This record gives sequence, structure tokens and C-alpha cells, in this order.
Amino acid sequence: MTLLTVSGLRKDFGGLRAISDLSFELRKGEILGLIGPNGAGKTTAFNLITGFIPATAGTALLEGQSILGLKPSAIVKRGIARTFQVVKPFRNLSVLENVTLAAFLNEPRRVRAEEKARATLERVQLSRKIENNAGDLTLGEQKYLEIARALATDAKILFLDEPMGGLNPTEVENACALVQRIRQDGTTVILVEHHMQAIMKISDRVVVLHHGVKIADGTPHDVVRNRDVIAAYLGRQAA
Amino acid sequence: MKHILAAVGVLILFVAPLLTNNSFYQHLMIMVLFWTLLGASWNLLGGFAGQVSFGHATFLGIGAYTTMLFYLSLNMSPWLGMIAGGVLGALVALPIGLICFRLRGPYFSLATLAVAEIVRLVALNWDQLTAGPVGLLITTLPPLSLGGHAVNWESKIPFYYIAAALMLFATVLTYAVSRSRFGAYLTAIREDIDSAEAVGIDTVRVRVSALVLSAFVVGLAGGFYSVYFRYIDPDAVFAISLSVEMVFIAVVGGLATTAGPVVGALVLVSIAEVFRERFAAGHLIFYGLFMMLVIRYLPEGIWGRLRFLLGLTR
Repeated sequence: MTLLTVSGLRKDFGGLRAISDLSFELRKGEILGLIGPNGAGKTTAFNLITGFIPATAGTALLEGQSILGLKPSAIVKRGIARTFQVVKPFRNLSVLENVTLAAFLNEPRRVRAEEKARATLERVQLSRKIENNAGDLTLGEQKYLEIARALATDAKILFLDEPMGGLNPTEVENACALVQRIRQDGTTVILVEHHMQAIMKISDRVVVLHHGVKIADGTPHDVVRNRDVIAAYLGRQAA
Repeated sequence: MKHILAAVGVLILFVAPLLTNNSFYQHLMIMVLFWTLLGASWNLLGGFAGQVSFGHATFLGIGAYTTMLFYLSLNMSPWLGMIAGGVLGALVALPIGLICFRLRGPYFSLATLAVAEIVRLVALNWDQLTAGPVGLLITTLPPLSLGGHAVNWESKIPFYYIAAALMLFATVLTYAVSRSRFGAYLTAIREDIDSAEAVGIDTVRVRVSALVLSAFVVGLAGGFYSVYFRYIDPDAVFAISLSVEMVFIAVVGGLATTAGPVVGALVLVSIAEVFRERFAAGHLIFYGLFMMLVIRYLPEGIWGRLRFLLGLTR
């Protein structure tokens, strides 16, 4: 079943076309990897769909309902939550408070919201850091914290922007396992990631962007053998 | 500990004006309460939500003029007029918020400053409504009797208790906000506005609500001002210096704290008086110096530091 349908998505920054006519579908329960060389427009695509920057043209339908043009907070209420490539925790607040703020969305009472936040932090294995200030966590922990925050909004779809960026190999391993657990628990995931091994391992499907244009869309197995993809990453000669 | 402090505070609040017959000291006490009220309402937006407004005099002026005009032209009781002043302040805050909150950080602050100047100039030049620079004057206040006794409006004491009630209202309101989901949302906005949106907080609506709430309380204070001084003109109630003083009270006391504005007002009103007496013409230089020292050495404010030393932080 298709959960999210993006079609004809376009973004111009002045004369620069950052995204041109991007169309793809996200199916319920899948893990979709969004990859591409630096500057391909991956984060821009995330920002457009989650409402952080306005699109020039195109549509995005979540379960048949248009979400483009809504404020980010309204899109979160519809069921799409995100993390940031450069982490943005509420630095001076505790880990628990960070996630409680997200849990407040569907749980107005503080006691219940905190309960839910604790349970969510358990899921991402941050329970021992609950009292710490978010700003004192390691980068890896801050990335997990952002995932917990997104989960606590009861999102149907998580948009993870480079959840493994800057993590060491063990942490990457754990992050892969976490993403897979999240999917098993019923949340659909789309992630931007540069860590090829990880993305090939956990994605059901991969969409490849290059200079704002989609050049491939398929299983990891097919995509790595696609001539355009190889050319985009390594240059024409290699292909 | 917190509760004991609060109880002692309320007790002092009730007996303080009875300790002296000197009407100048009573006036100073009223000013402390008045500035606490303003600092607390500014703090709702500037302290908790981190949205620094340099234009809160707008709502003070609107509250003052509303109360005055309703009394002078419609003969509405100024006590009702005060509430009308708060409501009108809140109503005016709504479009201002919707416009200014499209901007972030320092740009928001500058926009509030610009709006406040526009409103001041309108008040100064709209002669038919405001009587312009001539100002408005109330000669007598309507009689009021409490428990069979007519209230003596020539005494400071009744004004003191009205100011005390308003200030208690603002302080309890601040405390309630700090404990609520709304208050948590304000803190989230102060910490990181993008992340606040990302967890589903409608940051424009929450900021506008905080501004409206804050403007309501400042409007009440404006109403009080007009009744207490019985004279207002645009430069007295729409002045930028009033907006700035509200910022000072909240910063010196301690941003985003319930008791901060009380401490800020107490310290700043007393210091301003002492300096005025000591240094005459140059008193503002010393006042400025004091401000610089506080910001340099106590950026979290006097109460912000004290409550940490006393172990009162949550």
C-alpha cells in the first residue's frame, strides 16, 4: 500500500534548480534509502516534503491528502516526523524533557507525556541518559535522541537525515539495528545516508538523486549496478 | 522551601504599606509592584519563549488610553476600564504578532521596536482621539465603598492593594504557565525553533498566544497607571524607555523565572531612587553602569543565581 506519493516536486533557488520533477512513492512498512553525491538535493527534498522550505511546484500526498504548503508542525500532526542532518536538540533541556515535548503532541498531560517519553527512550536505548542535558550527549546519542523525539510524535513515517553521519562502525551497526526495529514496530522509514554499506543492507528500495534529478529507483541490488548511478558517483569513464 | 518563600512574600506584600506613613515610600512600593507586573508580563514572552520585544510600551499605552477614554467619554468605571484596557491591548497584539512573528530573533525585536514607534507617533498626532501631546486628565475618581467605608482615593493605600492584586495575578499566571504544556512549548521555542516545529509545535500560534497573554497583562498595568497618576500623554505611556525598562526588570531579576521580576523590580526601583538622590543629573550614568555589571557578571539574573545557590531549581 502506498503511504506517500511525491510527484513533480521542484525547487528553484533563484536560478538554481535544486530539485527537478522528483517523483517517488513510499510504501507502508518499507525502508527507503535516498542517496546521491553531495549537493544532489537529498536534504532539500526532505525539507520540501516536511514543510521546512516551500516547493516551487509539485505535489506530495500522504494517504491521498495533500501536505505540500502546510507548516512543518501541521505535517508532523498528519504523521511525518523528521530528524536533522546537523542535530538540533533542545540543548539546555534534559533528554527526558526533549522527548516529552514531542510526546505532548498527542498526550497533553505531563505525567502521561513523560511516561511515553520514557518508553520511547527505552526503545532507542537512551534510558540511562534521561537526566542528562541534551547538549552533553555524544553526537551518536544526540542522533538517537532526535529519533526518539520523532518517534514520540506517533509518526507513521520517519524522515531520517543522515542518522549515521559521523558515527563509528559500532555505532553504525547499532543504528542499522535500531532502524530495522523501528520498521518492525510498524513505522515506515525514509532515510538520507552516505554510509553505503549501511544503506544497502537495510533499505528495501533505494532512490538515487543526482543534481536534483532522480536517476535510479529500485532494489539496492539493482541500483548499485545501474550505469547512471556508477557514473554519478565515479564519473563517466568508470561506467 | 519554595512554598515558605512564597508565603512570606505574600505576608510582606500585605503588611508592607502599613509599616510607614510616608507617602513617598508608599509610592515607591506601588512602583515596585507596577514594575513587577510589567517585568512579569514581558518575561512570559521574552524570558520563557526567548522572543525579545522592545515594543511592550505599545500595550501599556493602549491600556492606559482605553481606561482613560472609556472613563472620560463613556463614564465607564475605570476599574472595568482597566480590564477593557487589557482586552484591547491583547486585541492589538494579535495582528502585531501575526506580522512580527514572521521574523525571527533580532529581526523580530527590531520589528516590535518599529511598531511601538509607529503607535507612539499615531497617538501623538491623532488629536481627536488622544488629545495629542496635551494628554488626558482625570480630576476625580468615581466613589467606591467597601464594607460601608468610602475608599479614600487621596491615600496611596488603596492603590497599593490594587497594584498588589494585579502583581499577584501576574505572578500566579507566570507560575501556572511555567508548569503547563504551553510553558514547555515556550521553552522549546526559545531553545530551537526548528526543532519545536519538528515535534509538532505550531510556533507561530504559540508565540502569538504568548504575546497576546503578555499584552493583556501589560494593558491592565497601563489601566492602573492612568488611574494612579490620573494624567497620561503619549510620551508618558508609549515611550521606548518604558519598553526597555521592562526588559531590564526581567533580565536583572532572572529570565524565565517566576520570582525574577519581583527581585528585578525591587532592586531596580530602589537603585534608581538612590542614584537619583545621590548623583542628581548624572544618575542615569550610574544606572547604566549597574546594568552593565549585572549583565556581565550575572547574566542569569539576581534571582536566577540566588535560586541556584539556594538549590531551588527543579
